[in-house]
Amino acid sequence: MIDVSWGEQVVFYILAPIAVIGALGMVMARNAVHSALWLVLTMLSLGVFYIVQAGPFIGMVQIIVYTGAIMMLFLFVLMLVGRDASDSVIETLRGQKVAAIALGVGLGVLLGTGLYRGTVDLTPVGLAEANKNGNVQGLASLIFTKYVWAFEVTSALLISAAVGAMILAHVERRKDERIGQAAMMKERFLPGNYPGPKPGPGVYATSNSVATPAKLPDGNPAQRSISPILPLRELEPAEKADKHTLTGGHQS
Amino acid sequence: MWSIVDGYLGSYAPLGLLALVGVLIVGGGFFANSLLRPRRPNAAAGKRDTYECGLDPVPGGWAQMQIRYYLYAYLYVLFAVEAVFLFPWAVVYLQAGLAVIAEMAIFVGVLALGLLYAWRKRALTWQ
Amino acid sequence: MDKLKLPDMDYVALLPMLALFVAACLGVIIEALVPRRFRNIIQLVLSIVALAVAMFFVVKQSGEVVASKALTAGGAIMIDHAALFLQGALIVLGFVALLLFGERSLEFGGPFVAQAAVTVGSERDREQTGRELGSTETFPLALFSLSGMLLFVSANDLLTMFVALEVFSLPLYLLCALARRKRLLSQESALKYFLLGAYASAFFLFGVAMVYGFAKAVDFKAIHAEALLGEGNSLLLIIGLALLAIGLLFKVAAAPFHVWTPDVYQGAPTPVTAFMASCTKVAAFGGLLRVLYVGFDGLGWQFTPVLGAIAALTVLVGSILAVTQTDLKRLLAYSSVANAGYILIGVIAGQQLGLTSVLFYLVAYGFTVIAAFALISLVRDADGEATHLSRWAGLGARSPLYAGIFTFILLAFAGIPLTSGFIAKLSVFGAAIDGGQTWLVIIGVITSIILAFPYLRVVVMMWLSEPGESTPSVSIPGGLTSTALGIGTLATLVFGVVPGPLLDLAEKASSFVR
Repeated sequence: MIDVSWGEQVVFYILAPIAVIGALGMVMARNAVHSALWLVLTMLSLGVFYIVQAGPFIGMVQIIVYTGAIMMLFLFVLMLVGRDASDSVIETLRGQKVAAIALGVGLGVLLGTGLYRGTVDLTPVGLAEANKNGNVQGLASLIFTKYVWAFEVTSALLISAAVGAMILAHVERRKDERIGQAAMMKERFLPGNYPGPKPGPGVYATSNSVATPAKLPDGNPAQRSISPILPLRELEPAEKADKHTLTGGHQS
Repeated sequence: MWSIVDGYLGSYAPLGLLALVGVLIVGGGFFANSLLRPRRPNAAAGKRDTYECGLDPVPGGWAQMQIRYYLYAYLYVLFAVEAVFLFPWAVVYLQAGLAVIAEMAIFVGVLALGLLYAWRKRALTWQ
Repeated sequence: MDKLKLPDMDYVALLPMLALFVAACLGVIIEALVPRRFRNIIQLVLSIVALAVAMFFVVKQSGEVVASKALTAGGAIMIDHAALFLQGALIVLGFVALLLFGERSLEFGGPFVAQAAVTVGSERDREQTGRELGSTETFPLALFSLSGMLLFVSANDLLTMFVALEVFSLPLYLLCALARRKRLLSQESALKYFLLGAYASAFFLFGVAMVYGFAKAVDFKAIHAEALLGEGNSLLLIIGLALLAIGLLFKVAAAPFHVWTPDVYQGAPTPVTAFMASCTKVAAFGGLLRVLYVGFDGLGWQFTPVLGAIAALTVLVGSILAVTQTDLKRLLAYSSVANAGYILIGVIAGQQLGLTSVLFYLVAYGFTVIAAFALISLVRDADGEATHLSRWAGLGARSPLYAGIFTFILLAFAGIPLTSGFIAKLSVFGAAIDGGQTWLVIIGVITSIILAFPYLRVVVMMWLSEPGESTPSVSIPGGLTSTALGIGTLATLVFGVVPGPLLDLAEKASSFVR
């Protein structure tokens, strides 16, 4: 039996359920932002586990890089795709979901029992030796000697990621697209242009979406008031109906 | 009883104590608030009536974010990962001599190329 | 604390990797500093020079391999005969594929999109499709990927191998998203490849952790020794190997880890597909061979039946699904799945004969598949490449030369004598019979016959149908595509008629140093 100090046990029995709840919450939360926050909970718990298991550096990295930087990236992605964007529930392959759940649970059980049987009578060795000069120093002496090649090659990984992010997310302006203030003003007042500010989108009691056009005096939608890439949003009958906002919610 | 502050986990005892104090302060603040505040804050007359000029909240006020924000987030993550390697390097480079300093110089130099690329593509200026 | 000492580096042995890495970094600088219209030619020349330098040092090194000195960079890299053969193959195949990257004469601006960040279908997108020069970041990305592959086939521990896996995969995910035409399909393929690839990498990493738990080390020699010793709980070792194998089999596109292949091959720009189909296969099989033959050969009796079942499933899935395809790129994707199965049969065959056949097969298939995709990039209409099968009907009457070359390539895929495909299959099956895996050979032969059907259907369509209104014309290829097509076709012919030299080379290379 592995000898575990009582402090470690206390931390484990408090945080392990929290980590599992966080993981379940991440999968089950309907709202994507909530899902991300559940994931933060799990990652923080994992970070504390690492620290408790005598790996303070990896624990701190887990908290700084994962719960800090990478979670932030997740939230950015959520803001890009939309908080309300939900999965399509139509299955392209019939029975896929059931099969996936069955196989996933099967793999989990297989790995879980295998790992349990593999580690139940294991004697951990080498911790004291690895942390002899201090945890971070021990890591450093491996990264910068034995695994120096892998370390340097990581820079290739990071730079291709940077170049890739630039390619996929950055629109480069051509030289002729970058025009100065004077030229821009001249162009603005050329005949055929509309020099005034464009009207904002329609703001109604029932809808203030950016996709709802404002109305011209004659009642027609003003095409200038919405961005050309947005599909025109027609009000649904329910939205058009009188909401009795002026009468305080009471039918008059 | 002080024996628990020894050893590896014991060295985290001050941290745990600090966390506990933090929880106590925040929790105490909320508790004090709950003692001081009116019992039923929403019961004041007219509090829940619709504001004269207000809109009916209609769901779907979300607008898609510009992808350029993502670029900054991504570059930040890259350099956060770089910093992870800088920490262990910082504790050993004095003892380790020139070779290790050169290693890190190469690593940072290659990443700086990424910054050069981003700068020349005008990704760092807001357009 | 002790002074850290940098391990001995045999820089000459590492030069092939270094050359590609430095060239890729220079490529990024060129992207930052050189005007757009000069970039393509500069990047192309730089890449070719780097590949030539790398190849020179691979050849130079291959004469000087000494088993005791093969290990370098602190035990992280093993430059033995097999590693050098695979590195050489990667460099040559990468060179041929990069020629396709640089082609600008088939379409204005080349095969890659000018600005991948522009919204698909927007005004700006329509503008850039016909009028803007393609992005040339593809060259440094491909070079990063290639240098990762060189490291992958020579890595001597699982940690280095994992980093190499990521270094060669990440640029591939990006490259897939950069097609000039049919951009949504291209972006979808990149996303699918990325998600599944990340998942497979996670399996690989999990496997590394398990193996470390068993062997208390990640280098192959220690794993081998610990596995032979048989102490400790071998459950961890077996779980670890299974998870490692999942990660690697995903990269070689073996069933049931092949599902990404058709979508990605179809959506990616055709030069990138050619690059993936040839180089990724070589690298992934190189890694698989090293893991199985160097680290885990003591477990042969345990993994051979499982790998056998996977190989059988792979050839069956690949060949049967190839029959139903109506898109040429998808057809070739399933054919590539089936070919991964044939190579796996060679891997299972074991011994030197099996290794030789695998190395030969990888090179022969790599050349043929690049030629096939080079030809697909030629048949185009106003919307880009016309890859639907029906569009190729009657091509033989329109341009007999290219239809003839494509027929030859398809016959090579089908394994008809006088092509490299025949020799490759023959040597793999021969090795498998020698290794006592006759049942796999029977399945292999049956599926080869099934697989011949879709190939022959294309051949029949090209020659025996009348060209219709919608039959596209074959573009006159520029110098680069012609060179790539010529090299691929010639290699297919030469390795089919005089396979001796390459087989000898593969045989000499078929030994790993532990």
